[in-house]
Amino acid sequence: MSLLSLKDVTIRFGGLTAVDTVNLEVQQGEILALIGPNGAGKSTVFNLITSIYQPTEGAISFDGKPLVGIPTHKIADMGITRTFQTIRLFSELSVLDNVKIGAHCRGKAGLLQALTRLPGMKREEKELEEKAIVALEFLDLATKKEEMAKNLSYGEQRRLEIARALVSKPKILLLDEPAAGMNPQEKVVLMEMIRRIRDTGITIFLVEHDMKLVMNISERIAVLDYGKKIAEGNPLEVRSNKAVIEAYLGSGQFKSRRIRR
Amino acid sequence: MKKLLNNWIVQVLLFLSILGLTAFGAQIVNDLMPPYILMICLFIGINLIMALGLNLITGVTGQLTLGHAAFMSIGAYASAIATVNYDIPFLLGVLIGGLAAGLVGIIIGFPTLRLTGDYLAIATLGFAEIVRVQFTNMKITNGAIGFLGIEGSTTFPIVITIAVTVVFAMVWLENSRNGRAMLAVREDEVASSAVGINTTLYKIQAFAIGAFCAGVGGALFAHTTTFIQPTDFGFLKSIDILSIVVLGGLGSIPGTIIGAIVLTAAPEILRPLSNYRMMVYGLLLVVIMIFRPYGLLGGVNIRHAVRRAIMWPKKKQPGRGE
Repeated sequence: MSLLSLKDVTIRFGGLTAVDTVNLEVQQGEILALIGPNGAGKSTVFNLITSIYQPTEGAISFDGKPLVGIPTHKIADMGITRTFQTIRLFSELSVLDNVKIGAHCRGKAGLLQALTRLPGMKREEKELEEKAIVALEFLDLATKKEEMAKNLSYGEQRRLEIARALVSKPKILLLDEPAAGMNPQEKVVLMEMIRRIRDTGITIFLVEHDMKLVMNISERIAVLDYGKKIAEGNPLEVRSNKAVIEAYLGSGQFKSRRIRR
Repeated sequence: MKKLLNNWIVQVLLFLSILGLTAFGAQIVNDLMPPYILMICLFIGINLIMALGLNLITGVTGQLTLGHAAFMSIGAYASAIATVNYDIPFLLGVLIGGLAAGLVGIIIGFPTLRLTGDYLAIATLGFAEIVRVQFTNMKITNGAIGFLGIEGSTTFPIVITIAVTVVFAMVWLENSRNGRAMLAVREDEVASSAVGINTTLYKIQAFAIGAFCAGVGGALFAHTTTFIQPTDFGFLKSIDILSIVVLGGLGSIPGTIIGAIVLTAAPEILRPLSNYRMMVYGLLLVVIMIFRPYGLLGGVNIRHAVRRAIMWPKKKQPGRGE
C-alpha cells in the first residue's frame, strides 16, 4: 500500500485551475521527485498535502487516513513535515531553538508545566534537546547550535530547515526545491544527505528544478505541466518521454491558432 | 549541591524565599524612603507588570496591539467593584481583576487574532475605545464621573512581590515549549504551523496572559489612586505601555524592566524643567530610538552576554576560527 496518495486532486483559484485531477502515489521508502516548468503547480501540490490549501475536488490520504480538512498544524503530528521553496526559518532564534521548535508536535508540556516546572517537564525538555542535537549532528550543524539562524550561510540555512523537519521523526519528508541557490559542491553534499535520510527509513518526496540532481537521486519522477500530470516513471523513461520534452522545450509548433497571428 | 538544586521542592522553596526576601527588602525600602520616591517606585512596579504582559503579546508572539489600556481598565474596574461593592479582600480583588481582563482577552482574541500586523493594531484600538465608552456609560462604574471610594490598599511590597513573580513566570514561560512556540509564531506563522504549532491557540494564550497581567496592573493602579475614571485608560495609556516595551527592546524581559524604570522615572526626574518637561521626554525617546533602534536591550541575549563575559579570559568562543 502506498504511503501517500492523491486521488483526482483539483484546486481552482477563481478561474485558474492550478492543479488538475492529479493522481499520485508515494510508496513507502522511496525517493520521488515532482518536476515541471515554472508555474506547473508543484508547490501547490505540497501546499495541498500540508493542508495549507484545501483541494476543490479529490481526496488525499496518508497512511490510510484522509488528509483533507485536517488543520495544517496537525499534519506534522501525523508524520508529514516539509521545507519551503524560500527559506522559512525562525531567523531571530538560535539554531538549537529552531530545531527544538521542529519537535514541537512530539512534546506535551503546556502552560501549566511551563509555570510549575515539574520534573516531568524538565525531563521532556532534556529529551527534546538531545533529539535536537542528534538532528543537528546528522546535518553537520552541531557546532553552530548557539548561533542565530539568520547568521548562517545559505547552504547551512537550507540544511537547518531540513534538520527542523527531521527532528520530529516524520514518515515522509517533503522537500520544496532543496537545491535552489546552491553551488555544485553543496548540491553533491545535499544529494548525499537526502540518501542518508532515506536510509533511516524516511520517505522523500521532492520538488526540484535541477535536473542533474533529480535524475541522479530519484527512483521515480512525476512531471506536472499546467497542473496536469503528463508523465510518471523512472528517470530514464521520463527523460525520453515526448510529452515531457515538449513541456520543457516546446514542440516547435504553435499549439493554438490564436497565438500565431 | 547541584543535585540538590535540581530537586523540584528545593527549587520551589528557593523561589518562595526569593519572594519573601523581596517582600522583606521592599518593606525596608517602604519604611525608609520618602513617600514621593516610593510612589514613583510603586508606579514603576505597576507599569512593569503591565508592560511584561504586553511584551508577551507584542514582543514574544509578535502581535501588535494598541488596546492594552482596555485590559488595564477592565482589571481596575472589576477589582474596584469587587472590593468596594462586595467587600472582597484586596488581593482576591486583584486576582478577580486579572481574571476578568484575561477572560475578555480570550473572548476578544478569537475574532481579532485572525488579523495580523497593522490590521490587528487597528482592531485592538477600536476595541479599547469600545471598552472606554462602555465604562463611561455604565451605572456600576459611575460613568464619566469616576469610581470613588476605593481603598488605597496597594503597598510597595505587594507591588514588587507581584512584579518579581511576573518576571519569573515570564522567564519560565519563554524558556518552555510554550514560549518557543510563541516565538515561532512571531518569526514565521506558515513555518510554525508546518512544524505542528497551533498558531491560533498560542496567540490566544499570549493574549490571555498579557491581558491578565494588564488586569492585575490595573487593579493595583485602582487601589493606589483610590479613584479611577474612564479617561485614565485612554489611547495614550496604551501607547505609554507600548513605548516601555519598544524602548526596552521587543521581546526582551530585562529590556522591559529597564524600559519601565526609565520611562516611569523620566517624567519625574525631568520635573525641574517644568514647561519643557514633556518636550525633553519626547526628545529622550527619539534619541534612544536613533541610537538603539531595537530598543535598549533589543537583540541582546543576556545569557550569552554573561557567559561570554565569564568565558572571555579563559578561552575563545568555541566553534570559531578552526
